[in-house]
Amino acid sequence: MADCLKDKVGSVLLPGDIFSFESKEEKVICGPGLRRNGDEILVCKSGILRHKQPNMYWIDSQQKRYVPAKGESVIGIVTVKSGDVFKVDVGGSELASLSYLAFEGATKRNRPNVQVGDLVYAQFLIANKDMEPELVCMDSCGRANGMGVFGTGGLLFRVSLGLVRRLLAPQSELVKELDRAFPFEMVVGLNGRVWVKAQSTQHMLILASLLETCENMTAPQRQALFRKVAHSAP
Amino acid sequence: MSPMKLCVPGERLCSTEDCIPGTGTYLRHGYIFASLAGYVLRKNEGEELPMISVVRETEAQLLPDVGAIVTCKVTSINPRFAKVHILYVGSTPLKDRFRGTIRKEDVRATEKDKVETYKSFRPGDIVLAKVISLGDVQSNYLLTTAENELGVVVAHSEAGVQMVPISWCEMQCPRTHAKEFRKVARVQPEYLQA
Repeated sequence: MADCLKDKVGSVLLPGDIFSFESKEEKVICGPGLRRNGDEILVCKSGILRHKQPNMYWIDSQQKRYVPAKGESVIGIVTVKSGDVFKVDVGGSELASLSYLAFEGATKRNRPNVQVGDLVYAQFLIANKDMEPELVCMDSCGRANGMGVFGTGGLLFRVSLGLVRRLLAPQSELVKELDRAFPFEMVVGLNGRVWVKAQSTQHMLILASLLETCENMTAPQRQALFRKVAHSAP
Repeated sequence: MSPMKLCVPGERLCSTEDCIPGTGTYLRHGYIFASLAGYVLRKNEGEELPMISVVRETEAQLLPDVGAIVTCKVTSINPRFAKVHILYVGSTPLKDRFRGTIRKEDVRATEKDKVETYKSFRPGDIVLAKVISLGDVQSNYLLTTAENELGVVVAHSEAGVQMVPISWCEMQCPRTHAKEFRKVARVQPEYLQA
């Protein structure tokens, strides 16, 4: 089925749909979910086709399974401490490795205080399908920049990747609305993991269930729900 | 030739007066003993005494030697090195696959510490390399691609199509037009088949 790309912006597409160019001079940049196959464009993921001026197209898809990508900040759980390397579970297909020297101010004598079971907020240095992913807890200048071990107390739970990107967007509506309910501390990892800490256990559980359910609600429904919770919260 | 005689290590073959020891044999107390398990080969040299040797296979196996150009296939990559299987020595195919290692600092001649293995090789690539060392007992052959004529010759893109080299560090897929990084070998024009 060869059709024009512009007509399909905003509609749901399935993998296997083919588009051909209407004119040879038209330049199209394929984003995630689209692939070029000779003269045609092939859809690889199911989702909604989005368009950004002047000529960028991509597929907006829902996904829960995380695939490590370079430069993304994630929350990992330390599982093994072997020699100079920690093995961290990030929710991908393999355990990622984190060297003990990859922390701010860490030297061979001055080891960071990381135990098995700790939560770390780290960034991917190497992440591709052929090699084991590698994490670091500092940026290219050597500063921690908010990364490292965290989380005494608090609650860690999983959400879908789409919700995580909405939480991390600048000027996020979700975060502002949640803030009005009660004060809390939140760490969001791009691998779908969210950690929250509030004044009491009940608040933390309320936050967790709110975030898990509000993904598929429209904005008015969500605001109504948050208002109801804020009133009834002790 | 008469049917070949089999022997085991330690078997006494003949005395030094009859033959000269060759490969797979050693001298003790004036007699020649076998050191390998295999077939006994007796070769007549001419005026000198015939040479007796023990070989595993009846055809001689060509072993990669230091300085030989070998063709290998990348099996796995690591931030520090790439593991390969050696398939051809020069233009002779090998019966068994020998294992080789290309270390990160042997991939290129310039800017050795800035090399990223993921941008030089991928699993499944066919690479031309040179042997720099035979390695220890346990370790593999050490190879290098630090020359213009050495490096990736054949590579497949993520779409599964064979890629075309566009520079010494990039290859392009003809179907998806996506560019991928490899350390590309500059093959002499007379070796290219149209």
